[in-house]
Formats: sequence, C-alpha cells, structure tokens
Amino acid sequence: MRPAPQLLVLTVGQGIAGGLAVSLAALWSMGVLSHADAVWLVLLALLTAAMGGVASFFHMHHMAAARYILRRLKTSWLSREALTTGLFGGALAVAAAWSLFGHTAGWPYLWWLWLTAAAGLLAMWVTAMLYATIPAVLSWHTPVTVISLLSLGLLSGASWVGLVLPLGDHRYRVFAVAVMVFTVFVLGIKALHWRHFAEAHGRLRAETGTGLPFAPYRLQDTGTTKPPYRMQPQVWPAIPVRVRNLFYGLIVLFVGAGSLGCLLLARLTGVELFSVILPGMVSVGVVLERWLFFADATHSSRVFFVDEPRQPSRLKLSPRARVPAK
Amino acid sequence: MQLTIITDLNKCVGCKSCQMSCKEHNTSGAFGPVPDETPYQDPDGMWWNRIIAMESGEFPNTSVLYLPKACMHCYDAPCVPVCPTGASYKRQDNGVVLIDYDTCIGCQLCMWACPYGVREFDEEEGVVKKCTLCIDRLEDESLPPHERQPACVQSCPTHARTFGDLDDPNSEVSRLVQERQGFGLLPELGARPSVHYLPRRPAPSPVEREALEEALKERY
Repeated sequence: MRPAPQLLVLTVGQGIAGGLAVSLAALWSMGVLSHADAVWLVLLALLTAAMGGVASFFHMHHMAAARYILRRLKTSWLSREALTTGLFGGALAVAAAWSLFGHTAGWPYLWWLWLTAAAGLLAMWVTAMLYATIPAVLSWHTPVTVISLLSLGLLSGASWVGLVLPLGDHRYRVFAVAVMVFTVFVLGIKALHWRHFAEAHGRLRAETGTGLPFAPYRLQDTGTTKPPYRMQPQVWPAIPVRVRNLFYGLIVLFVGAGSLGCLLLARLTGVELFSVILPGMVSVGVVLERWLFFADATHSSRVFFVDEPRQPSRLKLSPRARVPAK
Repeated sequence: MQLTIITDLNKCVGCKSCQMSCKEHNTSGAFGPVPDETPYQDPDGMWWNRIIAMESGEFPNTSVLYLPKACMHCYDAPCVPVCPTGASYKRQDNGVVLIDYDTCIGCQLCMWACPYGVREFDEEEGVVKKCTLCIDRLEDESLPPHERQPACVQSCPTHARTFGDLDDPNSEVSRLVQERQGFGLLPELGARPSVHYLPRRPAPSPVEREALEEALKERY
C-alpha cells in the first residue's frame, strides 16, 4: 500500500488531538491543572486537529465533488469519518473559545471537556474502523487495528501534555504512571498487530486468485511493462525484511523506550527538558509506525502483480561456474 | 439480470487484443499523461483490462496462464458501500457496477476495497475509473444487436470470451458456467464476482507420429 503523506498527517494529527482532549478532560477532573495550562492544551489539540483536517482535504483529488461526502453515512466509514472529525473539530473550537473567553469554573466546562474527549474518541474509532473493515487489505482486517490506532493516538496525545506540564512534578505523578502503564499496553498491542501483518503476507493465494493448480507461480507480465504502482496505490513493492525489522526496532525505541525513559528520567532527575523531549520521541515513533502501517499492508490484489516469494536455488554451483563480476 | 463475461482459459492465447480494444474504445486511444509535459512518467496511463501472464509449477510440470482481468461486476461489490459520495453504484436493471465521475472525489478508498485491483486512478481528472462493461455500446440502439456487446468480447480472435446474463438459467454464459465448472477469483473474500473463468483442461498426452499413423491406417 502506498503510504500517502496526507493520510499520515491526518491519522497522526487526529490521534494526537484526540489523546490531548482525553488527557485534558482527565487532568481537569483531577483538579491538578491551572487555567493557563488548560488553555495551552486545548490550543495544542485544536492545532493538531486542524493539521489533520487540512491534510484530509489534500486527500481528495476532485474537490468539486466534496460537497457530496456525507451522502453515504449509512454504509461508508469515510462518510462517517468526515462527519465525526468535523464534529470533533467543532467541539474543540468551542472548548478553545470557552477556555479563552468563558467562565471555566464549575461543571458545565468540565462536561464540555468530557464531551469533546468523547467526540475525539468517536472520531478516532471511526477512522480506525475505516481501515479495519476492508477485507481486501488482509493486514488491516482485524479488531487489533482498531485497538492499535486508538491506543497509539491516546498515547501520542498524552505525551504531548509534556509540552505544557512538567511531568516529573509530583502533582502529575498519577498521570505519568498511567502513561507509563499505557505505553506497555501499546507495545503489546503493536506486537499482536505486527504478528497479524506477518500472517497476512502468507495468506495470498495463487490457487484461488488465478485458478492455477501448481505452485509456485511466477509473474511474466502484469498486462503492461511493470506493476501499476502509480495507477493502483494499493499495490506497493514489498518491504525487505531488513528494513521492516529496522522499523520495528525504531518504533519500539521511540515509542516504548522513549516514552518510558523520558518519564522515568523526568521523575528521577526533575529536569523539565525530558517532558519536552517525550512528545518528540513518541511522535517520531508514531509517524514511523503509521508509515509502516500503510507501506507494509498486504492487499489481496498483490497476487496479480507480484511474484510468489523466491526460493534460493537448491543447486550447488561450482566456483568455476560463477560469472565473474564486471 | 446480471450481465457478465465468461472467459475460457483454454482458448485465451494472451494476444492482448481485448486489452487494446478496451483501451481504444474507452479512452479513444489516449495513452495517459502527455509525454511532452511529463516526459519521465509512464506514458501508458490506465488500463481497465489487463492480461496477466503467469507461469507456474516446476519443470517438467509447468504451465503458462493468460488471465484477462477487468472489473468483476460483483454481486456484493465491496467497492460500492465504501464510497462516501455514492459515486460507485451497481445498476439494478443489469447488475453493472459503474462510477459517476461527477461525484467521485478521488479518495481511492474503493481501490483499497476492490479485492482484484481492477480500479485505476486517473491522474488527469482526479477520479477513479474502471471497466464499464462498455455500457455505452450495450445501450446504443443505433448499433446492430450483434454489436451491442463489450469491445473486448467482440475483438477476441479465439472467441474465448462470452457475454450474457448470468441470472438467466437458459443463457449461454449460465450454461458454460454450469457445464464447465466456471469459477470466480478469490471467492474467500466474499465479493461474489459475476465474471467467471472456465478452468483449463489437463494437457493431453503427447502422441508419437508413428503411433498416430498406425492408428489412422487401422481405421481407414
């Protein structure tokens, strides 16, 4: 699957905004947040949501028809995504205006923050369902996709709280511990997700895809001179195992070790810089994870455009038979 | 009614005349972006019908297959419900899956949803396009009745392709699917494609020239 930059920005930005909205509501309920901090957090959430919203417009290639996008709410998750993301953005805008100009003491403001957080979770869930309900993308067609996208969004949003609050401070101890526990959960979910991706690689069936009785099959011709990577973004050259493993390592390093390490160091040393490094580390990890999520996804149509994995020759070549390198 | 095409994989020789006639009829011979403007891009553009050539097996049990692959006009087309604007739709009267280019936003979600990879993105117009079963020819009353069929069916030199109504039990296509065990591609994904293929028969055993001449002499 070709990883489109606009989709990366949309999903990552929406996740951070949703996570920030949930964190803001939780911290405000705990009573550990000052008014100024709440304003900064809600503005950050609005900024990242707007980033995702703007990116989603670039995802459309025929803008004149954009006015029809809510026509198929009954069947299309993309139609629902447009609605729920819009509602979330609106709720965030109201929360930002309320935080800046309104009266924030009392339960109506708290209720609105929780309503905004619920809208954020709904938008993230709908976006995740969009990917998880496509049977042709064998790697995504699992409930783990929904949990993975939701949990990574929540974690990245929670990490962005570090830009505003010194998370090593004892006032935010409960929040920091919760984020650390949640990081371990996210790593577990990602391990499950990657296992499903690996299984999907092996589920391409030449027998049912072509009716060929014998394996292995080799592609001679895809109809034109080469696979239609430009016309059909759902097929994409397979990622080499070494590159995939490198991405796995980097994601674990940035999301797992980065998050846990920064929070621990912030707590132990009391240096505020670690709280600021935390969102950077987690965000880089999430961007890498999302790139791999798209680039490594196996689509059922690959069976028509890509060879079966090549097996090394079982013949032992004698040294004299080798062709000298030029 | 479900219009469809049945392809006999024994008769298809991979000549690509159906691929070319589809391109010629549906895009009037245009070959994608103009090379002078973007000289380093692929000049061939979209193909709504691709003939895929595969070889399979290991020597000496090898086989080469030519698989003409265009829209399968599925009964449960997964590309239709995912479309946010309703641009992708399935016609009730003849079962053909079509795209309304005026309401397509080019989000390409239908290309992800299609299990067969037959939808292609038109970079010039920013919309997704695919085989229409030559619906303009089917409904063109100025054409004589025998010409009201898809261009690929008409151009096939070996008559490997047959066009008709799969829901009519007395039609030629229904008879072929029933008698020759026609199969659809990737049935495990549940799209219920209407386009079927007739499986290849096992290769006949080679007959030596002397044995053939002897048999002919005995008989005649």
